[in-house]
Amino acid sequence: MEQEQTLARRARRRRTLLTALLVLLVMPGTILFGVYCLDDRKYYFISLLLILYTMVPFLLVFERRRPQARELMILAVMSALAVASRVAFFMLPQFKPITAIVILTGIALGPQAGFLTGAVSGFLSNFFFGQGPWTPWQMFSFGILGFLFGLLFYGRRRPTTARGQRLWLVLVSLLGFVGVMVVYGPLMNLSAVMMMTPQVTWSMFWASVVVAIPMDLVHAGSTALFLLLLTRPILEKLERVQIKYGLLETPPTSR
Amino acid sequence: MARRTRTGYRDVFSTCHPAINFFYFASVMLCGMFFLHPVFLGISLVGSVAYAILLKGERTARFYLWGLVPSILLMALVNPLFNHQGVTILLYVNNNPLTWESIAYGLAAAVMLFSVASWFSCYGVVMTSDKFLYLFGRVIPALSLVLSMALRFVPRFQAQARVISNGQKCVGRDASNGNLVQKLRNGMTILSILVTWALENAIETADSMRARGFGLKGRTSFSLYRFDSRDRCVLLVLLGLVAVVLLGAATGENDILYFPRIVVKPLSWWSAVVYLAYGALCLLPLILEGLEAYKWHRLRCKA
Repeated sequence: MEQEQTLARRARRRRTLLTALLVLLVMPGTILFGVYCLDDRKYYFISLLLILYTMVPFLLVFERRRPQARELMILAVMSALAVASRVAFFMLPQFKPITAIVILTGIALGPQAGFLTGAVSGFLSNFFFGQGPWTPWQMFSFGILGFLFGLLFYGRRRPTTARGQRLWLVLVSLLGFVGVMVVYGPLMNLSAVMMMTPQVTWSMFWASVVVAIPMDLVHAGSTALFLLLLTRPILEKLERVQIKYGLLETPPTSR
Repeated sequence: MARRTRTGYRDVFSTCHPAINFFYFASVMLCGMFFLHPVFLGISLVGSVAYAILLKGERTARFYLWGLVPSILLMALVNPLFNHQGVTILLYVNNNPLTWESIAYGLAAAVMLFSVASWFSCYGVVMTSDKFLYLFGRVIPALSLVLSMALRFVPRFQAQARVISNGQKCVGRDASNGNLVQKLRNGMTILSILVTWALENAIETADSMRARGFGLKGRTSFSLYRFDSRDRCVLLVLLGLVAVVLLGAATGENDILYFPRIVVKPLSWWSAVVYLAYGALCLLPLILEGLEAYKWHRLRCKA
């Protein structure tokens, strides 16, 4: 037992070291390489590399942990549900439950699971909607939303009174709305601007943000709506499975 | 990732070693994404669309014809609305200059997006799940399993949703019964049943995987691939072509400046070599297919 703990601690230290290396050396290195060797013109190439770097630590941590088969299957199910939900609503542009499902996975299973589910479902759903240079951006945007909600809500005590629960639900939906408007929207707008022009300027970015407002509003609104509808049932089911099969060492804090 | 050709026929390139398939798609997609030189763009578009048609048949060809041209033109027209850089002004719209450079860049970006999307659709047919797992099962075992399982779950959930919905229909509670509120409520019930089933089913799958030794050392793959002499030949050719293309990129043959004025390197014998190499790279699956057909033809003539 003790040996296991020291091993785990050593693994954690190695991961921290790797992340630090990535953030402090590789990322600035890539940016400098872009500025000096590529004449500071290949924004898209450099930004794509940076996006990929940010995903690497998550994936490494996940692989190093040697996750159990049950955990893998739950993640696969949540990703597949997210993808299927995006496919089911294909006729309504931007009106999709995929973001809500990723957010709920983050809340129920933690930041890491949230990030992975987001990234995996972003990647896989584009096999149905069309892959392209926007895929890594979408993977990252979905993933970071799942990660943020995991950080905010995972393992936290939830209100037990009926009134408190209703308030909590409204809070989650509101935050989902804000998250899409503040995190997902700007990231995807930035990627669109970078794909459309070789020289990115602030005025262009703001123009794209303004143009995209209706679409982002639909996406954010639908996310909030689906969160209102889905939060209770999906969280209940996920927690039920966790308790029934003992997937977590510490059971969810409240029922 | 998991789709196969409808007829069951597999083209020559698909039968090569998965490492070659993956390396090929990685290089053509990256090149396609970052080379905005019109010649390179044209080559990439032709190669990807031709391969997609070879893989998926004539229905795809019709789809490309009717979808490709209008959407590329649309993107070319949209870009100048937001982008007024460039020195060759064609006309003024509401005091905003419409420049030739911005139209050209819009065209280039549209062709780039389309050819990469087209490469990805080929990738989806060629790189089946078992090939992906064979390649990455050792490096990133957990993640590659999640990817291929999730992709498999999507059609499975859709089928199960139909089963549940039929069951609910028998008791008059399908998503098509009742007024709008009832329809929504029934739809939510179906979704709820589906999620419960999916989670329980996943746990059962996981337990049966564990029972069969998932995660133990020395597991083998579903499909076995041998790196034979043909694969070595293809790999050598592939590496040679990629090397020439990268050398060309290093010497700036693929460089193009769109703003403020379109600047391209003049044509020289070296740029012609780079274009040829890139053309051979993008058309490699078709070339292999042609060689195979030729070989078959020769054999039949001899017999």
